[in-house]
Amino acid sequence: MLKMKNLSKIYRTHMIETHALRGFEINVAQGEFVTVTGPSGSGKTSFLNIAGLLEEFSSGEYFLDGVDVSGLNDAGRSKLRNEKLGFIFQGFNLIPDLNLFDNVDVPLRYRGLNASERKQRIEDALSQVGLASRAKHYPAELSGGQQQRVAIARALAGKPKVLLADEPTGNLDSQMARSVMELLEDINAKGTTILMVTHDPELAIRTQRNVHIIDGQVSDLVRKDPSLLVPQPIRVADSSHASHA
Amino acid sequence: MEIRPIFSALMRNKMAPLLVAAQVAISLALLANALHIVKERTVMSSRQTGMVDEASTFLLDLRHLKAPPHEENIALQLRQTQLLAAIPGVLGATWTTQMPLTRSGSQSGITHSREVKPSVAASRYYSTDGFINTMGLKIIEGRDFKAEEIAIVNVETDTIQPATVIITRALANYLFPNEVSVVGKPIYWGQGADADSSTIVGVVERLQTTNAQRGVSAEYSAISPARISSPRSDFVIRVEAGQRDRIMAESEEVIRKSHAQPMIIRTESVEKHRAERYRNDNGLAWMLIAVSVLLMLITVSGIVGMTALWVSQRRKQIGVRRALGATQFDILRYFITENILITTLGIATGLLLAIGLNQLLVAKFELAKLPISYLTIGSVIFFLLGIVAAYAPARRAASISPALATRSV
Amino acid sequence: MFSYYFKLGLNSLRRNPILTALMVLTLAVGVAASISTLTVLTAMMSDPIPEKSRNLLVPLIDNGPLEGYEAGKEQEQSRLPYRDAVTFLNSQQGIRRTAVYTVSGAIEPAQANLPVLDISGSATTADFFTMFEVPFLFGGAWRVEDDTAAANVVVISKNISEKLFGNDNPVGKRIRLFGLDYQVAGVTAVWRPSPRFVNVFNNQRGAYVGEEDVFIPFANAIATQKRHDGSTWCMGSKMGPGYQGLLDSECTWVQFWFEVTNAAERTAVHEYLRGFTAEQRKLGRYMRNNKDQVFDVMEWMAHLGVVSDDRKLSAWLAFGFLLLCLVNTVGLLLAKFSTRGAEVGVRRALGASRRQIFNQFFVETAVLGLAGGALGLILSFGGLWLLSQQSLQIAAVARIDWQMFFLTFALAVSASLIAGIWPTWRACTISPAAELKSQ
Repeated sequence: MLKMKNLSKIYRTHMIETHALRGFEINVAQGEFVTVTGPSGSGKTSFLNIAGLLEEFSSGEYFLDGVDVSGLNDAGRSKLRNEKLGFIFQGFNLIPDLNLFDNVDVPLRYRGLNASERKQRIEDALSQVGLASRAKHYPAELSGGQQQRVAIARALAGKPKVLLADEPTGNLDSQMARSVMELLEDINAKGTTILMVTHDPELAIRTQRNVHIIDGQVSDLVRKDPSLLVPQPIRVADSSHASHA
Repeated sequence: MEIRPIFSALMRNKMAPLLVAAQVAISLALLANALHIVKERTVMSSRQTGMVDEASTFLLDLRHLKAPPHEENIALQLRQTQLLAAIPGVLGATWTTQMPLTRSGSQSGITHSREVKPSVAASRYYSTDGFINTMGLKIIEGRDFKAEEIAIVNVETDTIQPATVIITRALANYLFPNEVSVVGKPIYWGQGADADSSTIVGVVERLQTTNAQRGVSAEYSAISPARISSPRSDFVIRVEAGQRDRIMAESEEVIRKSHAQPMIIRTESVEKHRAERYRNDNGLAWMLIAVSVLLMLITVSGIVGMTALWVSQRRKQIGVRRALGATQFDILRYFITENILITTLGIATGLLLAIGLNQLLVAKFELAKLPISYLTIGSVIFFLLGIVAAYAPARRAASISPALATRSV
Repeated sequence: MFSYYFKLGLNSLRRNPILTALMVLTLAVGVAASISTLTVLTAMMSDPIPEKSRNLLVPLIDNGPLEGYEAGKEQEQSRLPYRDAVTFLNSQQGIRRTAVYTVSGAIEPAQANLPVLDISGSATTADFFTMFEVPFLFGGAWRVEDDTAAANVVVISKNISEKLFGNDNPVGKRIRLFGLDYQVAGVTAVWRPSPRFVNVFNNQRGAYVGEEDVFIPFANAIATQKRHDGSTWCMGSKMGPGYQGLLDSECTWVQFWFEVTNAAERTAVHEYLRGFTAEQRKLGRYMRNNKDQVFDVMEWMAHLGVVSDDRKLSAWLAFGFLLLCLVNTVGLLLAKFSTRGAEVGVRRALGASRRQIFNQFFVETAVLGLAGGALGLILSFGGLWLLSQQSLQIAAVARIDWQMFFLTFALAVSASLIAGIWPTWRACTISPAAELKSQ
């Protein structure tokens, strides 16, 4: 479903070159639920951004659902993103000017679906997260947990093959976090591949597969035995994300 | 306060400060020129006509549907003058052919010698010995006309040129630039061997032409002593202060009764003539004032908007500065200084633009060169506006809590 | 997709009312200033008789004396002396010719209870009405024989006809005009060319105000010794006494027009003029060596300078003002769009291409422009009203027609789009990854 081969990402400013990812290799099969962990600055955000086609990579190969991404222009990447991927963010990232219905509508609009189909999908997605009755509300009128549910509904409405989640529970209290996590597991059970970046070892334990990134490289920890998840000696990476500071 | 770090911060985010500077520059260029034009027009429209009391002076204009024969017409003029003068409150009433500011009347070419060319065009008033007194013109040399100097002219048969003339100081200065005294000198109506001449008997300080055009030629006027029989008679009437409107109505009545044949009678105050003459100029001046106010409002709104934007973009940074020990005053000073830098850049560009625009206007339209004082005034205005406009957002910046630094958002 | 962007644009503008109001107002004020001054300027510069303006010609000769003559100096007189006007009327040049001068006086209504009418009109020839396409309500022009016979016939305006005869057809009736009896030959419908190009007033009434009350035959006006009510330009040689003195003099006061059908005929008229002045110079009557000129309608308006410099000056300054408003709007849009990085990031993540983001923000600025145009239109009416207070001339031409109506919106929308290009481009090049993380 998602395959990266010898991929590297280099940030260049006029003075410094920073390697965020180097010789990065990963292969995620359809239906997997993968958590991505790693210390700050290890490159896990770069990985997620590249996986989500939000950033370009410097060299290597990346196939998303069999499509070679490196050959695509902005419009092609946008289309692919729209059709195959769904996003969930730590900060929810709902558009404050739009009500819930219109928020969920956003990816469907870019797909160019007709009005009745969009309406059907939005209602389905909102009821799947239990917020169908709040369709006309604005994000500011909801709690954090509810906002994250809307964000999930928005990601689901496009029926993505892969759901990318960046610390989806980071801004939530533990009870809300648990319910969001249950929702994601539910979605995964129905066949959607999920990649989730998290700091929370408890969440990492819950998933089938945990990818640990250190210094731009992968060490794959495959599940079941919690003892395998004993923290590795963490090296403070000397590389950092030079831009966007 | 060090300027260098502020300056380098500005250089990193060029577009927004440049926009503000551009606004200041455009506004300054427009404002300086607009105020210059306003000043020029108001100076022009407040020039004196030479009349002693414009507010109490009016014109009565009558047209005969069928003009009386010459002798009867002259007699009627005399009788009507007496009737008007007899109205209580009237200080003077005189027959004339034209009045300042009315934009209709005759001009003649005048020279001081038959050989000189070209002649200068002067507004030609024909009136009688009461004119100087009724208008309240000030004689600065020589004398008023004597009654026997008044030529009686029948336009159908005569081509009489009155022997004497009174001219304005401006015209005298133009014709005889090097003479102290001009009384007794001849002037010529037109050029060539057959041009008529008249002798100057008096000089009045000022009498504007009928057009009151731009420049010194607005006072090139000559008064010839004559009484002309024509289908149209004009009377200038000066009254006691505050009596004008009453006497305007009364004088129409008096004139209507003075002659049995049908006439069209009209009275107009000099105030109205002035308003009509300068209507365009005053209108333009008011429009420019309105535009100037809008200019400043828009520029202020631009500065406020942009400063507010920078403040909100740098909230966190401000919090950190505060946490690191910057006082509220330091923050306020930072933003004000930043704004002064931008405004100064705008003013410098604006000065160049203003001069450029002025040169364009001078070339395309009749406009004087922009005096330095307008540039100075404009610069000061925008300098102060810049500080005032930046103050409110800068205050808000100063009130940002240092605790903001520790928040993660 | 456009309707979606349109809806988003409206929505976004609604969510930030103060900033939106400020932008709309700024745009509207700038547009209104430009449109109102431009309306006046274009109305004043418009062609009063577009179908024919190239074929109606004014001849200009210089009959001034040598005294005071400087070679190459623009001549001051713009009309003809009576004697040359008569020569040209008989010249057979072009397809039609007419001479015009202004006569004024009074009409005494037959009913004693009505007041005397103070009127002003033109003394001209029968061809005048055809040449200048004067519309008639009743009757028509007088006959050519009336010109020859200097007959007491008159064409009156609709306004005068209504005052004297109500809604009746007065053709054939008599009116008391200038103290004489005239027979009504026709009644003109409203005829108000703007400017009044045929015989331009350069006095207080100006070139745009009022209309002709009456028309009488040129020959009749001369025979009854009517003088020109307007500027009569006399130079040099002394004038003989009385009306005959004026007719014999070199004073210029008659406006003359030729009508031709093409450029070749215009050249022929010009040739005729050259021949005429050469002959007059040989006779010793014309002394100056100035160029003889021929002007068509628009050239003539430019020559007379009927559009005052103040109008052009106002329009220039107004566009300077619009430029300021534009720069201001760029700043405000930049401020508005810069707060929406997060939205752009989300939309990009959810599959919007850069182009789609660009389109969305572009449509939003266009919506802003439309609002600015609507308000600008209202303000333009206000601006025109204010300008109308400046002079009767402006009041006479200050109308917003369909062209101006659309121009207002076009100007507002294009101004907002120009202002929006840079902020929009900035918005669509935002790096989505950065915006999504740093929320």
